[in-house]
Amino acid sequence: MEADLVARLEEKERQLERYAADLRETFKAERARTAELHASYMATVRALANAVEARDAYTGHHAERVAAYGLELARAAGLALANDPQTEFGFLLHDVGKVAVPDAILFKPAPLTDEERVLMERHPVIGWEILRDIDFLGDAKLVVRNHHEHWDGTGYPDALAGEDIPVAARVFAVADTLDALTTDRPYRPAGSFADARELIAAASGTQFCPAMVDALGAVAEERLEELRAGIA
Amino acid sequence: MTRSVLIVDDDPFIRRLIATTLEDVAGFHIEEAGDGVEAVEAARAKEPAIVFLDIDMPRMNGIDACRALRALDGHAEAMTIVMLTAAGPDAEAAARAAGADLFLTKPFSPLDLLQLVDSLGA
Repeated sequence: MEADLVARLEEKERQLERYAADLRETFKAERARTAELHASYMATVRALANAVEARDAYTGHHAERVAAYGLELARAAGLALANDPQTEFGFLLHDVGKVAVPDAILFKPAPLTDEERVLMERHPVIGWEILRDIDFLGDAKLVVRNHHEHWDGTGYPDALAGEDIPVAARVFAVADTLDALTTDRPYRPAGSFADARELIAAASGTQFCPAMVDALGAVAEERLEELRAGIA
Repeated sequence: MTRSVLIVDDDPFIRRLIATTLEDVAGFHIEEAGDGVEAVEAARAKEPAIVFLDIDMPRMNGIDACRALRALDGHAEAMTIVMLTAAGPDAEAAARAAGADLFLTKPFSPLDLLQLVDSLGA
């Protein structure tokens, strides 16, 4: 009788061990798959971002720098979205809609006519439409659509104001301008981080969300230099 | 109509384990029985699509129960009977001879269990 009981207990134990072993294996495989999936998402997003940038020799690596600055600012602002991969996807893809802007407008060395400006300012909506059905991008699409909104409501395409502008788009707008001011352009050389900070601070509460401008103030210049140097 | 799965084992722990593994899979309704006699009664009443049948049980063992299930009027042929066996070719042969369609070796893997149910088009 006792031997039977022991045998039955051992059977249960073996059965449980089998379940535990399978659980462990399943979990391991699942984690590997998740990592692989994330890597292919990232590769896809980078490929798309690079394809957009390949047209524009001047802005080389703009998307990657802006993504690095944007994530740094998001962390400095204490935003949870700093750790969300979708945020980086949105930053990298912000200008994907420019594929639909003709070269003659995109690379025009003179100020745009009203008509040309209208075409240029369609790029956030076009980008958003291109990405609309890609589920894994989630809120990244809001950055693409709303990264040219202004805090005071004078931006485009939706003329959103204040906190109606998605927070990732607000933090991104500061990073985007920071990079634009600190890289060479055909019509002017790159400015310093210090000058860029000053110009951005002057537009706090009009073009930019004050909290995001403050976040930029909290990031040391050496850190910005380091981020820029980290991108080949 | 919700399809039923009948789990027959004298060890409630094993019944629970199978039931839990199959829970939420294909929306099966899960029935349990503790020995061969109960199994035949339950199969007659519930007409399960799949029966998991332990080979080694008191009162009426799995081999006898399998024959009795196959002798039921009407529903007998529609049932897929999966015999839970010890490892070894003898047990498999006995299960097949008694009319089992498939067998699952104890200790069984939950993944094999799920795959088996999947393969039945559940």
